[in-house]
Amino acid sequence: MNFYLTYILVASALFVFTALFTLFAVYSERKISAFIQDRLGPMEVGKYGSLQSFADILKMLQKEFIIPKAADKFLFVLAPIIIFVSVYLGFAALPWAPGLVPASLNLGLFYIFAILSVETLGILMAGWGSNNKYALLGSMRSVAQMVSYEIPAGISLLSVVMISQSLNLQEITIKQGILSLESVKFFGIWEVKELGGFLAWNIFQAPHLILAYIIYFIASLAECNRAPFDIPEAESELVGGFHIEYSGLRFAFIFLAEYSMMFLVGMIGVVLFLGGWNSPLPNIYKLPLASWTTGMAWGIFWILLKTLTVVAVQIWLRWTLPRLRVDQLMSFCWKVLTPLAFLCLFISGIWRLTMM
Amino acid sequence: MNAEQVIFYFFAALLLLSALIVVTSRNLVRSIFLFFVTLFSLAAIYVFALADFIALTQVVLYAGGVLVLMLFAFMLSNKELLNAMEPAKRVFKVKHYVGIFISLAFLFILLQIFTERDFSQLEWIKSGSPISKNENTIHLIGIQSMTFYLLPFEILSVFLMMALVGAAHLARKDKKI
Repeated sequence: MNFYLTYILVASALFVFTALFTLFAVYSERKISAFIQDRLGPMEVGKYGSLQSFADILKMLQKEFIIPKAADKFLFVLAPIIIFVSVYLGFAALPWAPGLVPASLNLGLFYIFAILSVETLGILMAGWGSNNKYALLGSMRSVAQMVSYEIPAGISLLSVVMISQSLNLQEITIKQGILSLESVKFFGIWEVKELGGFLAWNIFQAPHLILAYIIYFIASLAECNRAPFDIPEAESELVGGFHIEYSGLRFAFIFLAEYSMMFLVGMIGVVLFLGGWNSPLPNIYKLPLASWTTGMAWGIFWILLKTLTVVAVQIWLRWTLPRLRVDQLMSFCWKVLTPLAFLCLFISGIWRLTMM
Repeated sequence: MNAEQVIFYFFAALLLLSALIVVTSRNLVRSIFLFFVTLFSLAAIYVFALADFIALTQVVLYAGGVLVLMLFAFMLSNKELLNAMEPAKRVFKVKHYVGIFISLAFLFILLQIFTERDFSQLEWIKSGSPISKNENTIHLIGIQSMTFYLLPFEILSVFLMMALVGAAHLARKDKKI
């Protein structure tokens, strides 16, 4: 019985984490956008507006559930749940620290990829269920974009899998630091297994993975419908995209899914390319910084720090770049990102055969 | 009954029930969305057969690919056209005979296998499961498909290539001569 209790505890801990992260991310997004646009941002609630997102969520909890008269009630009610659950399930396979992973799956990466593809279905459900032309257009744009950008993202992830020869995210992380059982080579020539630190990260083990990470990062922005790829929820054209008809707690769930998705794709990128929970500090001769900063608490600290940095970059890009047009979006995906991702895959194969 | 059996029967019941509603429902969009439930519970049953790779592939290909394609085709088609496709009131019509025949023949084959085979005496069931619960199945699949099943694997890749070329050809704009 204890067995099941642990499962429930881990699952609720992850849910609490996603909720807290969303509150934190909404506040920081507003503050960063204010900084970029030379404003102050929320200042009224709490010191420097720090309680603003709590006030927002309180408002959302009190709001009425409005179901449009012409909506397909069944699909309309179910859609936010499916969107959130599909993102939330992805968290199950992500490693947080050495020996700390909710579910160590041999197919971890493939599992996350599979479960995230369910989200597209939820978005279509929301768009169709609302029976609103803006919602339908938004959901169709969103799905077209997500389905196309899954291809470069998936192929750039595959080029990492070819280097590390595993789909288990914990194993991939272990192979990028001082805990590795195999030899780790910086740029394929310099043995850095003892040194560890940032020198052992995947992007420095094989330099073409830097390109793969950039491709993955761009594609992941498109997958979470963030600017500059936010045509599905383009406020100026579609009012609000697929979630236009939602209110109250249902809208909160869609919002939660969006921010959790940002964290999730950021964390996948960190685990696969930027060393996961491995410390960025190398062992320097008599100063074993990497050995000191590897452990359970340090692991959580490093992965949170790295992922939050990636999320901050996502927010920064959103408030810096203008929105792409649909045709630019598609031609960028199919004519630039996909061929480059295939090139990375090809180099990975050659690298694996000749350099490792 | 232990927890695994409860979960297995839950998904089996869900699979059958949702599949039944998919074929009987009059609302086409709802039946497509319910088809997702069918496919997902089928994936859950694959997990019980220790085929986790197949289960995940099922979710990626059918839920993420085929279903989205079906929904797109549905949403891009004309609404009047769909209304004209009223489901028939009578089941036994001449144009339905082929379908009825095929499904009956399939049922017959399944029933025959079920009655003729003694499942407890099968070689690979008596010897116990050849793969354990924690085995890395993807390594086995990779090795098998590059050695024992190399020819089907390569034929499949050529086939996919043909489909890709065909799709690119269809999507191309006609050149004016």
